[in-house]
Amino acid sequence: MADPAKTRILVIDDAALVRMYYRDALERAGFEVEEAFNGLEALEKLLAHPAELLIVDVNMPQMDGFTFLKVLRCQDSAVCGTPAIVISTEAGLQDRTAARAAGANFYLVKPVTPETLVAHVQLMSGAPA
Amino acid sequence: MPLIRKTAAPVVGPSAGDLDSASADARWAAARRLSSPEDVASLSTALERETEPRVREAIFTSLARIGGLQSARALAERIRSDEAALRTGAIDALRSMGPEREEMLAELLADPDSDVRLLACEIARQGQGERAGPLLCDLLLRETEPNVAAAAVEVLTEIGDSRALPALERCGERFAGEPFLSFAISIARDRIGVK
Amino acid sequence: MEAQAALTEEEFARLSDFLYRRTGMVFGEAKRYYVQRRIDDRVAATGTGSFGSYFARLRSDLNGEVEQFINAFTVNETYFYREDHQLSCLTSDILPERIRKRRRSEAVRIWSVPCSTGEEPYSLAMWLLEQWPEVDTYDVEIIGSDIDTKALQTAQAGVYGKRALMRLSPDLVARYFERLDDERWQILPDLRGSVRFEPANLVDAQDTRAFGQFDVIFCRNVLIYFDDTSRRLAAENLYENLAPGGFICLGHTESMSRISPLFEVRRFADAIVYQRPMEGSRG
Repeated sequence: MADPAKTRILVIDDAALVRMYYRDALERAGFEVEEAFNGLEALEKLLAHPAELLIVDVNMPQMDGFTFLKVLRCQDSAVCGTPAIVISTEAGLQDRTAARAAGANFYLVKPVTPETLVAHVQLMSGAPA
Repeated sequence: MPLIRKTAAPVVGPSAGDLDSASADARWAAARRLSSPEDVASLSTALERETEPRVREAIFTSLARIGGLQSARALAERIRSDEAALRTGAIDALRSMGPEREEMLAELLADPDSDVRLLACEIARQGQGERAGPLLCDLLLRETEPNVAAAAVEVLTEIGDSRALPALERCGERFAGEPFLSFAISIARDRIGVK
Repeated sequence: MEAQAALTEEEFARLSDFLYRRTGMVFGEAKRYYVQRRIDDRVAATGTGSFGSYFARLRSDLNGEVEQFINAFTVNETYFYREDHQLSCLTSDILPERIRKRRRSEAVRIWSVPCSTGEEPYSLAMWLLEQWPEVDTYDVEIIGSDIDTKALQTAQAGVYGKRALMRLSPDLVARYFERLDDERWQILPDLRGSVRFEPANLVDAQDTRAFGQFDVIFCRNVLIYFDDTSRRLAAENLYENLAPGGFICLGHTESMSRISPLFEVRRFADAIVYQRPMEGSRG
């Protein structure tokens, strides 16, 4: 059963091991974690049940992370403003710029340590450190 | 109540189209219609400048259906794109191809661009993994980029068998300081095991 | 039948991850017992002898093994008013949107494909007659298609057994069926006559193109089982068979997230459905 006191985070990545890794780190830090395989499944889940924060991979089949963010920002007010951390393998300035243009609030480069992930999530969700 | 039975139905879409047309519908119809090996060059050229997502998808589908190494290469070129949707769309189309896919896999896993090697790992998921598994293991033994190794480990977790264990172990030793990769390798080793 | 050794944690995780990736269905701890049983059944049925070789077969989808496996977890029976949340969505949300700017002379066109033995298209017809306030204002054309011509013949005949009628009130049965005997009911001629049955192969554009454009397509529990090439082709064909802004409904456990990037997702109160974009939304 969902715990209303916990901040709900949706982890969006097509790699099962990445989702597992983020889930472990975030659950240990006291967050509630949901998963989605790609941007389209993420949209379906969010439309049914909004999340407080999104962790977004870029390269995913059927709907990549940037397309997802652009579509998300056009949805209704319950979900369009959801903060998003994009986590990508791309380290260039061009990709950071593209991420911001798509509506990302933050951009991290893989591989990400559990500590880095949790620190950024805590920062963005306003949860106590 | 006027529930009706119609005997004739309107035929959908333009009857002729051209990959250069100003109309996305016409380009889409053309991309769907072109299905022979002679069309690979024009589909490939069109792909380089096409911006409408569904036309791109149709070109991908047609190239994948036509098959052959020339088509596979045209698709593989798009993996280098700056645009994520193009990259992942090309991978999805490549995955649906037949034996030329395995030949492309070998080439792409040896590409000098680490982003290409990383994305190419996905193509290894299809099929029985007879050739793909060893190719991924070879990559693990020489790969310098942890993200690429991680992508290979992720796929091996699904398709690998006990023959992958030595490469996974060696990779784990080389990248002992990498938290995600170490995590992924330990999961892979647990899951593959001996059956 | 001898049970196989129990699935290890790792085997279960490997299987779950694969099935989630492939179908979108989640097989968590709660389903473990049923997964074990299904593995036992399928290993025996395929003679694969071990989890490892069965898993390889499942991954390669030999002889439709993914569908065989998943079958045990989905309701396979067809019956009238199955998935009635989609029927509700049709009349509450989908059709109102479709008729918003429509001339009354323009028919509403609905395609049920695959329609198997006809329960779905007849259910659509009945539901509209019973639940749609505009049913007398607009012409409605309902077509049921399948690749199986024998199933279409059965659909055309419109004779069904008790199980198929289990979700229908006695009132509805009385209104739309004639009782032939204790075991068989037949759809009344008027209703039978209002649904057209035509064979169609979703993967063949030459075939599907002839059907024209629809307002709504029900395409349930096939796309997810197609191989990569077939699902790409079928998705493109279905897109072509939808009017701009038209809707497509998938099966309860299916998602376009595993099938195609061509459609936009819409969430209504009763269902998540997919839509062909309106014209002019892009270049």
